[in-house]
Amino acid sequence: MSSQTQTASDKRKTGEEKIRELRELFADANEIGKQALENVIAELTSQVSEPPPAIESAGRVGARLGKRSELTIIVPLVPGGAKRLKTFLRSLGGNLSPGASKVGTLHDMRFVFFDNDTRLLFATSFDGDWDTYIDDFIALIPDYLDLMDSAWEGWPGIRSPEAKDYLIKHQITADGWFVAEPDLSLAEIQRQNRVSKAVDEFLDKIQ
Amino acid sequence: MSSVNESAAASGAARESVLDLHEIQATVLRPRPAPYFGTHVLLRINDAQSGRELFRRLTPHVDSAAGWWSAKTPWLSVGISYTGLKALGLPENSLQSFPEAFREGMAARARQLGDTGLNDPKNWDAAYGKGEVHIGVQAFSDSEEDRRRILGIAREQLDGLSVSILAMQDFGAQPGDLNPLGYKDGIDQPPIEGSGFDPLPGQGRPIKAGEFILGYPGEAGVPVPMPQPDILGRNGTYVGFRKYQSRVGAFNRFLRAHGNTEAERELLAAKLVGRWRSGAPLVLAPEVDNPALGADLQRNNDFNYANDSRGRQAPFGCHIRRMNPRDSKLTRLTDVNLHRLIRRGTTYGPPYDPNALSEADDEVPRGAIFLFISAKAMATIEFLQQEWINDGNFIGIGDERDPIIGLQQEEASFTIPNEPVRRRVHGIETFNVLRGGEYFFMPSLSALKWLADLNS
Repeated sequence: MSSQTQTASDKRKTGEEKIRELRELFADANEIGKQALENVIAELTSQVSEPPPAIESAGRVGARLGKRSELTIIVPLVPGGAKRLKTFLRSLGGNLSPGASKVGTLHDMRFVFFDNDTRLLFATSFDGDWDTYIDDFIALIPDYLDLMDSAWEGWPGIRSPEAKDYLIKHQITADGWFVAEPDLSLAEIQRQNRVSKAVDEFLDKIQ
Repeated sequence: MSSVNESAAASGAARESVLDLHEIQATVLRPRPAPYFGTHVLLRINDAQSGRELFRRLTPHVDSAAGWWSAKTPWLSVGISYTGLKALGLPENSLQSFPEAFREGMAARARQLGDTGLNDPKNWDAAYGKGEVHIGVQAFSDSEEDRRRILGIAREQLDGLSVSILAMQDFGAQPGDLNPLGYKDGIDQPPIEGSGFDPLPGQGRPIKAGEFILGYPGEAGVPVPMPQPDILGRNGTYVGFRKYQSRVGAFNRFLRAHGNTEAERELLAAKLVGRWRSGAPLVLAPEVDNPALGADLQRNNDFNYANDSRGRQAPFGCHIRRMNPRDSKLTRLTDVNLHRLIRRGTTYGPPYDPNALSEADDEVPRGAIFLFISAKAMATIEFLQQEWINDGNFIGIGDERDPIIGLQQEEASFTIPNEPVRRRVHGIETFNVLRGGEYFFMPSLSALKWLADLNS
């Protein structure tokens, strides 16, 4: 289910070629789309000519920008799974802090149920590659992972050697993504918060 | 008498092992003797029959770990690379049962290992990283005479076989067994449950044997996947072989640039490692060295970081706090017992010279070859390289890297927490440059015989 983030031929195309390709595709769009493209074409031309660093691959699947990786999983749910998972999430007011904060690399997570609660979209972003710490998760928080993932159809259990393959099979790599501060890890953001507070305290004291 | 003997006598801690010690190779469990003398031999098998014959001849001379704590010397151990297993004619389904990183080899995993720039495989010594190293033989002994004798035995086994010696590297014979940068090393080893020996004070709780030896339950309660068939995998393990060149001149220049007196330089040297050169840990000897403490196996590892939560004794980024954070507060959910390796450090070349200051001194062949041993050595080495060596995020110090074995970036720094403000030392360089590396499978003694009998 995964797709390449960017093909080699995309990289080789000039800005002019990219704009021509967009114009050809938008020729089939409705008037709203066509007009919108024309309105931004000048700005877009300069953007595609000198694009920012492309998103990279985060290991076997998923995209990465700087220190941050993204993970999107769409899975079918077992009967009753949505109800159990939703009840669990609601018991925490839908807010997974502080449990999730303990992981130390997770910037965000969201659980979205759709198709009459038969499927789940799980999306998260985090520092580094997702499987670097998988053994630590298995050792330290296996039950929380299984509590949530047992609603997923075919979930083999986090301790199973098949767990990694299951996740990869259901993961879809993002084609577009934005991270405001890709080089700031969560630990670094927290450190900067502490430093900023300490500097303010220091400045207060010397006044 | 070896240091292990002394500690066993002192603690009376040897007890019955639940591991098949007669099957496990000695090097897996037996620390190097003190003093130590040895040789690494790297071989290429030119035809499968010669390779199998070599295993048949060599196996009777390979020591098992039975009575490993008695440190009888000399001994031989042997590892085989993925290309070596292929050269021996191991069937395809068996080859495919080895982990992907092992099959690819260390050079091909340079991205995952962060072996780039100075450490890039294209800069390695000629023998390494080309798939040509098939067999690694290690000879350990406690005297030069015994080293020669055991090496002679190993070499006799090659007679008449189509097997080429790619490299031979003598090691050891350092005054005081110091490493190439002048430190006592190899102190803190992971304690292995059921290996027949109680942990030394400070070693922590015993770690499940399956983390280090194939076929036993690991920390997760089950064995890690094992190469097939069982006879091949069981009681074997993996070895990450990494050869470092020590840039002793750069190291000394760094100390002199940031320390005006001998005492300042030695304190800085201790801050980089977390131990004084004697082995005395900063947590137990924060102000001045204590050589008696450094030499005492019962005390030189008996500490944690509970009273050093701000890193004012042992900096967060120092080498030993990275390689075993013990009870340090980490920024990420981490089980430190999952990321340990048995280390056999083998120093080669002339001993450390504190007055070596030139760039020419950086290139004098001198350094250390490490054997990093674990049932999941490839994954653990990749984890350590990415997280604990070439990053500082896990312990809250941003991009800083391990000052001893890290690959330093331009304008790298090393932070020393202190009162009232931390000291940040700039201009730290890569002091140990990687010059070669291979992954070996270190089979059990039965597996060695099984390999010798392939196709027969």
